[in-house]
Amino acid sequence: MAKNPTRKKSKDKPKRSLFGRLILVIFGLTILAVSIGALVLSGYAIQLDEEIRTRFAGTRWALPAQVFSAAQDLYPGREFTAKQFKYELDRLGYRASQELAGPGTYVVGRAGVSVHVRAFQFWDGPQPEAKIAVAFDQSGIASMRDLEADQARDIVRLDPMLIGSIYPTRQGEDRVLLRLDEIPMLLREGLIAVEDRGYYDHFGISLRGIARAAMANFEAGRVVQGASTITQQLVKNFFLTSRRDIKRKAKEALMAVLLEAHYSKDEILEAYFNEVHLGQDGNRAVHGFGLGSRFYFNKPVSELRVHEIALLVGVVKGSSAYNPRRNPKNATARRKVVLDVFLREKLISQEQYEEAIAAPLGVAGSKGGTVARYPAFVDLVKRQLKGEYKDEDIVNEGLRIFTTLDPQTQELLEKNLSAGLSKLEKGRKMAPNTLQTAGVVTSVNGGEVLAIVGDRNYRYAGFNRALDSKRSIGSLVKPFVYLAAMAGDPVRFHLQTIVEDREIEVPLDRKKVWKPKNYDKKTHGPQQLYMALAKSYNLPTVRVGMEAGVENVIKTLKASGYSGDTPALPSVLLGAVDIAPIEVAQMYGTLAAGGFQSRLSAIRSVTTKEGTPLNRYPIKVRQTLPEGQTYLINWALTKVIRVGTAQHARSAIPPGTELAGKTGTTDDLRDSWFAGFGADLVSVIWMGRDDYKSMGFTGSSGALRLWTQLMKDLKVHGLDMIPPAEIEEQLTDPFTGLRADEGCPDAILIPYLQGRAPTDYAPCARAAAPTRFEWLREIFE
Amino acid sequence: MNVRLVAIVLMAALLHACVSAPSSTGRKDSSLPYPTGSSSPVERDTQGVREEPEVAFIPPFGGVPTPLENEAVLPPSFPKSAEEISGQAVVSLMRQSNEARSEGKWDLAASLLERAQRIEPRNYFVWSALAKVYLGQDQLDQAISVAGKSNSLARGNVYVELENWKTIAQARRANGDSIGALQAEARVDEIERLLESSKG
Repeated sequence: MAKNPTRKKSKDKPKRSLFGRLILVIFGLTILAVSIGALVLSGYAIQLDEEIRTRFAGTRWALPAQVFSAAQDLYPGREFTAKQFKYELDRLGYRASQELAGPGTYVVGRAGVSVHVRAFQFWDGPQPEAKIAVAFDQSGIASMRDLEADQARDIVRLDPMLIGSIYPTRQGEDRVLLRLDEIPMLLREGLIAVEDRGYYDHFGISLRGIARAAMANFEAGRVVQGASTITQQLVKNFFLTSRRDIKRKAKEALMAVLLEAHYSKDEILEAYFNEVHLGQDGNRAVHGFGLGSRFYFNKPVSELRVHEIALLVGVVKGSSAYNPRRNPKNATARRKVVLDVFLREKLISQEQYEEAIAAPLGVAGSKGGTVARYPAFVDLVKRQLKGEYKDEDIVNEGLRIFTTLDPQTQELLEKNLSAGLSKLEKGRKMAPNTLQTAGVVTSVNGGEVLAIVGDRNYRYAGFNRALDSKRSIGSLVKPFVYLAAMAGDPVRFHLQTIVEDREIEVPLDRKKVWKPKNYDKKTHGPQQLYMALAKSYNLPTVRVGMEAGVENVIKTLKASGYSGDTPALPSVLLGAVDIAPIEVAQMYGTLAAGGFQSRLSAIRSVTTKEGTPLNRYPIKVRQTLPEGQTYLINWALTKVIRVGTAQHARSAIPPGTELAGKTGTTDDLRDSWFAGFGADLVSVIWMGRDDYKSMGFTGSSGALRLWTQLMKDLKVHGLDMIPPAEIEEQLTDPFTGLRADEGCPDAILIPYLQGRAPTDYAPCARAAAPTRFEWLREIFE
Repeated sequence: MNVRLVAIVLMAALLHACVSAPSSTGRKDSSLPYPTGSSSPVERDTQGVREEPEVAFIPPFGGVPTPLENEAVLPPSFPKSAEEISGQAVVSLMRQSNEARSEGKWDLAASLLERAQRIEPRNYFVWSALAKVYLGQDQLDQAISVAGKSNSLARGNVYVELENWKTIAQARRANGDSIGALQAEARVDEIERLLESSKG
């Protein structure tokens, strides 16, 4: 190539021999060419080098936020059976074994359950691992003992469950970062043995490997073996497209060498462990062994056993072809190949090998994977974060989000809604999947969202009815109508106020007149106010509401947590206002907490990926409804269950457990609601059809059934109904509404605001002043 | 006013005696935060002759706190400290919270109390302590609200109410609400006088 120009130049220097001159020139030009080549190459290399260093230094990956459930506290006295405890441990990926074999294992014995609790970085600091023996008795956890310190423990916190992550919707790379020292030795050495035996000896590319691959390919007549080192694979995943051509191959090799020049073997290996693609879950790509371990085995990488490590190492070769959920046969075969290498390289003993070969694949969860379990809840978490963090921080910074989700409550809600709906459909001979549902469970004090279902197919991350389906609430509005009346005019309205259940005409404008009807199209005569609510009669509600003023009713709705802006039309009094289930839970939660509202929250705290606290969501309380009147309404809502439209609940709830709630039904039976609470939990259930057609269920025949079973399964605590200071209770004669005593057979103890109880005795009362006919009564007695 | 307070106290004491027996075993006391079982006032309705319709029930006490002629009432048997009504887990968390508070770790102190609150949601001692943490954090409105919530749950427990009114008085003063602070301080004085007189 350099010969042509030499001839031209050679003519000017006759003194030297032709050969000598030629040598000199060739030499010179070669140096020039090499220099130019080197210059060009080094320019390219510098450019690549720059690229490598920018990518590799600092933040290497966009880290999705990790979302954790609430952590379970264990303590003596907790109502928690050994069976429930075992279930909980299994859910957290703890492994039952004969003896405690490191964090994440437990032993079920006669005396109770011993568990080696994992260390965990909580919001309030790191919690070390601990070996705890838990003893049970009839009522739950009897005692707990720290096996190492040999002393009793008052409270032990389990590590929370990773329930999902928030990653960019388009390129959904998800990962859980690992440091090299967190990776078990077998995984580290095993991966090297299988993927790149000479990893610690080569400089980025392996000449021996290339030769070996070339030989193998030559012998086979096709490409059967690759020669990519771990470094090259990392470069390929990290910097390059998946195109396969010689130019890219060269670039890959060059970058691998450069990478090795800058970074240590360990750094590169660590990056590889975090980068490698191990599976796909919808549009979410599972990267790295940290997430891979959770995705396939629902536990941290430190707890992987030999056969599980072998499986994951095997998946590296092809996450689709060797997907243990979809292609278990391939995966098993590949696992054997990997285990053979492990044995040959003496990484495992013959005994371990045989045990691993015999072990089932042991993959956790269903086909979909184990992580994105609770889409409706994670959806709520995302929305709550949205206003407070930048979108890119949520999906990039590896934030740790500690939520309020209680997995037990969540699973009971899912199970009850899904199974309950099918049962109702069957009972009415409806086509399966005609009905839809949504449900919310919150804590009474503190306003934590414990569980959410937004679709009867609760794993489906689609339309979240719990948050987005705003439907008419029907009679759920009634407590707020009466509350507005009692708060506005406490003299006129109390629980014993007699209200008329007869037809009413409400002029809407000059032409239109609204003539509401009761659900049964009948009228029932004069009613005590609380009975009108318990029986959910429409006509008295409209009468009382019109007297209280629709505006005031709306104010009360807002004070309880309604955030909408419905026009002040009389139809609001019968619930013609569209509200999503989560907001209904907020409103009934304010009632349940005696008027002290806590805004619903799904998050307790957020930390950086290192564990530094960023934000805490403390319990906030604000009194938004008057305590006395709220107590009166709650008392009336217990009557809904005792004598009103929700008596069905009494069939399942243990006697003596006082619950409060309200049915809601809308025109043409389009919506069936039940909202109610005990001392600790509020639950709201909606069911209906997405197309707004009539589905034939009232609140009582539909949602109430689901609610009752749910509350029973949740072992809800009954209300204590101890009146607050501003309430007095008075034995009252239901017929006259006057003060009663032991002489009145049907008298009821009714709460009133202080000083509002009737003072005059009813005729039936012994203490009543003798009337003209008293002598007659005395004769008969 | 004094007389009325005594009456309220007496009645609430009766109520409390009716509801719960303080537990010293360290096990979670089932009467708090969740009074269940036959001694619960809820049951009163069902103890009557028939269940439906609404049953007549003659309460053993007037139901209405009427002024008592005789001031020489028994001192209220209200629990004075969290230990008397709380399970050992809650006691332990409250102790840790106190430590955090004394070290100025307010967020930690609050989060420990929130954990305690989740275990015993209606434990008014926990809410009362949380109000004090809010006061320490200068979250005055929250301090007032949470102390009010504790008062609401305490159902007449003067010992807790005393602490809550102190919190409210301080928070109102810091908030610039001097009239409100004076009113709260008056409540504090009133309860202190009452406790003093019941001692004698």
